[in-house]
Amino acid sequence: MASGHVTKRAKYKTTIKDPGTPGTLRMTLEKILFVPHNPKSAGKLDVEFRFIKGQKHTKEGSSKPPWLNLTNNQNGSFIFEFENYSDLQDCRDFVGKVLAKSGEVSEKPTVTYPDEQLSAAEMELRIKLLREDSELQKLHKQFVLSGVLTEAEFWATRKKLLDREANKKTKQRLGFKSAMISDIKPSTDGRTNKVTFNLTPEIILQIFAEKPAVHRAFLTYVPNKMSERDFWTKYFRAEYLHSTKNSVAAAAEAAEDEELAVFLKQDDILASESRSKIRRVDPTLDMDADEGDDYTHLPDHGIFRDGSKEVTESENELYRRTLSQDINRHAAVVLEGRAVDVELEDTRSVAEALARSKQESSTKGESYGDTSRERLDRVSRMTEIEDLQAPNNLPLAPLCIKDPRDYFDSQQVNALRTSGDELAGTEQIKCSLSSQEVYGSLRESISVIKAMGLKDPIVKPEVAHQVFDALTQSISTTKYNIGKNPQESVLDRLPKKIKEELLHHWTSILELLRHFWASYPITTSYLYTKVNRLKDAMSHIYPQLEEIKGSVPSDLRHQVSLLIRPMHQALDAAIQHYEADMQKRSARSGERPNGYA
Amino acid sequence: MKFQIEDVTVYFPYDHIYPEQYSYMIELKRALDAKGHCLLEMPTGTGKTIALLSLITSYSLSKPQSPIKLIYCTRTVHEMEKTLAELKLLHNYQIKHLGPQARILAIGLSSRKNLCVNPTVLAAENRDSVDAGCRKLTASWVRAMAAENPNVPTCQFFENYEKAASAAVLPPGVYTLQDLRAFGKEKGWCPYFLARHMVQFANVVVYSYQYLLDPKVAGIISKEMQKESVVVFDEAHNIDNVCIEALSVSVRRQTLEGATRNLNRISQEIDRFKATDASRLRSEYNRLVEGLALRGNLPITDTWLSNPALPDDILKEAVPGNIRRAEHFLHVLRRLVQYLRGRLETDNVEKESPVGFVASISSHAGIDQKTLKFCYDRLHSLMLTLEITDTDEFLHIQTICDFATLIGTYARGFSIIIEPFDERMPHIPDPVLQLSCHDASLAIKPVFDRFQSVVITSGTLSPIDLYPRLLNFHPVVSHSFTMSLTRDCICPMVLTRGSDQLPVSTKFDMRSDPGVVRNYGKLLLEMVSVVPDGIVCFFVSYSYMDGIINTWNDSGILKEIMQHKLVFIETQDVVETTLALDNYRRACDCGRGAVFFSVARGKVAEGIDFDRHYGRLVIMFGVPFQYTLSKILLARLEYLRDTFQIKEGDFLTFDALRQAAQCVGRVIRSKADYGMMIFADKRYSRHDKRSKLPSWILSHLRDANLNLSTDMALHIAREFLRKMAQPYDKTGGSDRKTLLSQEDLEKMGDGSVHEMLY
Repeated sequence: MASGHVTKRAKYKTTIKDPGTPGTLRMTLEKILFVPHNPKSAGKLDVEFRFIKGQKHTKEGSSKPPWLNLTNNQNGSFIFEFENYSDLQDCRDFVGKVLAKSGEVSEKPTVTYPDEQLSAAEMELRIKLLREDSELQKLHKQFVLSGVLTEAEFWATRKKLLDREANKKTKQRLGFKSAMISDIKPSTDGRTNKVTFNLTPEIILQIFAEKPAVHRAFLTYVPNKMSERDFWTKYFRAEYLHSTKNSVAAAAEAAEDEELAVFLKQDDILASESRSKIRRVDPTLDMDADEGDDYTHLPDHGIFRDGSKEVTESENELYRRTLSQDINRHAAVVLEGRAVDVELEDTRSVAEALARSKQESSTKGESYGDTSRERLDRVSRMTEIEDLQAPNNLPLAPLCIKDPRDYFDSQQVNALRTSGDELAGTEQIKCSLSSQEVYGSLRESISVIKAMGLKDPIVKPEVAHQVFDALTQSISTTKYNIGKNPQESVLDRLPKKIKEELLHHWTSILELLRHFWASYPITTSYLYTKVNRLKDAMSHIYPQLEEIKGSVPSDLRHQVSLLIRPMHQALDAAIQHYEADMQKRSARSGERPNGYA
Repeated sequence: MKFQIEDVTVYFPYDHIYPEQYSYMIELKRALDAKGHCLLEMPTGTGKTIALLSLITSYSLSKPQSPIKLIYCTRTVHEMEKTLAELKLLHNYQIKHLGPQARILAIGLSSRKNLCVNPTVLAAENRDSVDAGCRKLTASWVRAMAAENPNVPTCQFFENYEKAASAAVLPPGVYTLQDLRAFGKEKGWCPYFLARHMVQFANVVVYSYQYLLDPKVAGIISKEMQKESVVVFDEAHNIDNVCIEALSVSVRRQTLEGATRNLNRISQEIDRFKATDASRLRSEYNRLVEGLALRGNLPITDTWLSNPALPDDILKEAVPGNIRRAEHFLHVLRRLVQYLRGRLETDNVEKESPVGFVASISSHAGIDQKTLKFCYDRLHSLMLTLEITDTDEFLHIQTICDFATLIGTYARGFSIIIEPFDERMPHIPDPVLQLSCHDASLAIKPVFDRFQSVVITSGTLSPIDLYPRLLNFHPVVSHSFTMSLTRDCICPMVLTRGSDQLPVSTKFDMRSDPGVVRNYGKLLLEMVSVVPDGIVCFFVSYSYMDGIINTWNDSGILKEIMQHKLVFIETQDVVETTLALDNYRRACDCGRGAVFFSVARGKVAEGIDFDRHYGRLVIMFGVPFQYTLSKILLARLEYLRDTFQIKEGDFLTFDALRQAAQCVGRVIRSKADYGMMIFADKRYSRHDKRSKLPSWILSHLRDANLNLSTDMALHIAREFLRKMAQPYDKTGGSDRKTLLSQEDLEKMGDGSVHEMLY
């Protein structure tokens, strides 16, 4: 919306059949204005954008001329025919922007916030969230629209919602198909002996992943030495030879054709890969180590041909590849998952992307370095007999802060405005302690705590006791009042309207309190005003609660007052804190006249 | 926990103990007290290893005046690592409770390939090349040369180790192979030779069966173990096969060709020495005249695989005169190779006894029995004299000499079988001459004689009375334990019919029937859609597995299976199989779920655990009988019948069922674990087959599950999995405890233990 308006020549048509009135179409942020060239003709149009609901347009390349169709909220429509498609596109984009804007504007018609530069997508997301969650919308309306909280403050505590929404959009990565590539069956035309293979980039990627030698061959041969088509023809020729299980024929063909031999030979890259991988396997299943230990595997020692051993044909070993190898390789590749995350378009890009990702993983593999520690841990884990001893780790889900921002968001909001303000009130204490001293003092304080316990517990025991008492009392009285039916709760007995009101107040109080407490200690003037705003909002809720109490029938009054009491207490605590803080502040401001207060 | 068994305080690193483990310890202690051998069968998944380790170490701690050494034999390196990891746990516990006096030294010993830290040597592909690579750097003559000429490369790690001399010791602790390597790297000492050296002083040595059973290896590594040792063979159900393999040799065309090349090379070397350093050959001759086959004490780096015959059977006398001179010995070997080549050129299967074979060598090649017997030692001496370091090149001639020494030494318990081609592939000529040992008791006899207690233990030793006969020993304790389960956490089933009610079996005449293959495929397909996490399938042989997978692939069943789980397959390539297993575990860990196709009697069936989510179901497709037409197997059966009066059929069934039990037994790790086992063959429903299964499986095999079809099995599987998902009381209620705490143990006196358990 760099320019706030667009002006194009167009024809205005009332219906599709209508030949249209030529004129100038001018769109601004607020309205659409059409002025015919011929001032006498009818068809002057002046519509405000807020009545426009949607737009439709014809596709470029279709037989239809470039039409833009704007529908209004009375199901009427305005059709404009442009001279060319680029004009149509300009207008279309403009309308789209304005419509998107009007959506958000209708949500919050108040001031705009210069500190926020939101992308349209982000805005849309917020709107969507509000629409989906009526409670959230209510809160938003109550606080943001009334100016108690700013938009940014409101959303800052809900970043998680926004993030998750964003995450949803990144589509799940697909793995490889579980079907083998040998399942690619050719189609025949039924008349000649020709067969046709259909290769998609997906299949090609899988072939490359499972057969690194083919991958390498592709990178070296195509397109310098042969065309891609020839390459795949050769490949399938080799596959065909494999499938005949005639290793003699394969060997013969390979001897004649150098490139074909590449496909027929054992994959040397795989062999070297497996040699490096074998060093990392779990020692409890390292059978390769046995081979190195077992003296019965000296050639010709032990029993060579008894009933339990098997014989293999050793001839043409080079050109034999078994189904088992293919299956193992396939399963390993599927298990590894897909490393390439690009749009699969043509074979060349697929091959290159795979090569890149391989290089990455190999450098990663090197930096792995010594994995022996991990291997040992795995062994000792495997050897323990689990039920002979108490489980050594309790079934706790480990704390996993994926995005530390979630955690620090509430603080971040408050830091939002700090940039402009100097850090008043806090003095930087120059610390020049040696580590020795620090350690000494740390030890001392630990020993003190050890000896006397924590002097300043989080909750004072008396307070905790009081809370418990109150809780038990209220629970027992409610129990007494409503009987033993566990399905029924106090809230259900209240009239629906009051219940909803109560719940709404409760959530709004929580929202306010959250912002309130997060603002302390007040370090900036921004926080100061914010706290004031919050305090005012809280004191507004006070009488509302009283009102509810008064409005309920007398038999429920007791219950309601029980429910309201904790809300009152929480508000009281906040206001008390506020006042105490104010007093301290005013006392100090005398000493320091240039304070921000 | 800590408790008393009679006079021994047992330190057990867990808070609870299974009653089986407790009674296992009691039996084991009885055997140790009696200084005799014992045979103990305890179900898998009841913590055998830790029970064994904690009793024996505690026993040794309680008798500080005569500490016993523990020699723990495992079949595979990964089992070795697991055992050492358990021992580490135990050792930490004992140190915590007993303080420094509980310190022991425990090491795992393996080949150079698994212990070497020298990057240049380690670059070699297989064990033999690593051995040779090491020799090239550390042989005594190489080092002597390097002392004069600094350009001769040596191994820095070994030099440092030598320099440290007696200071090079391992501090007490438990060392896995990984730890040894790390220690070696840190100190700059060679971990292999350090470990070899420390074996004499260690309280616990963990190594593979061959180090004790194969005379070639035992001769160099286990020579100096004291009599006051307890030898444990864990997972010993196949011990008879290991014994037999240790004394068997086969000769093929490639062997003979290689041997001829070796002989040419030796003869060149001899000529070279004659020209440059004739005194060396002369001094060897003189030494041989004096009756010393080998030069007294060899430096540790020069030792070779020792004589393939058992120590008691090696003659302690002078090498016969006709092979003392190097050239003469070479001629003898050439004649022997020539003779063997002639014998391989046959169109018929021939079977001969060693006596007959020696007689015919004597008449045709003019080599008498005594000369044959000394072949190996003489070759060994010659190669040392010629300072040959690339030993991996000389394996072929070694094989020939092994063969000669064995037939020269043993008259009974062996037979020689010459086959022109493999029975199963008659079109490919591949003649082989096999010297096969039939008597498992031969190889293990020195172990029984030498050590005061030998413990043979496994999850499957049924029928338990057969093993003393096969191995020819008299156990003081022989016991088979059952399993007290908190809940029915194993669910064995016998599936006899497919979903179309047709019988399924891998019997020879039925196995290629498309209906059977399809029914097996349908069974697996149904199961993958029901069972979570890992499923393991065992087939009777590689060729059968390959065939069935190809058929499933063609018919699309495999594709459908892949819709549910990833598929991994054991192949004959060990590296690939290991990676497949690793991926399989990762697939189970991440929740994708996977199926592993494996082979009974294969490497995976032998030693990989599929416990917990790594195996919720095992399907045994068919009965894993040996290939009964094998000439060697027939010869062995004949020998067993004549010597031990064991019927052929009985032995075959016993052998097949122990393999099957071994395969399915790998799903359970503890009583908290659970798993299903499907025996998919109609023959399992017959009593004579089924009764050979170990009792702990039989006791859970309900009559209703003996004759199932696919859909019934599916129903049972669903029910079982649902039941297992429920929470349960781990201690097993009040009347029958399946988990004992320290108080429980203290409460019951020695008398009442048995009442509680049985």
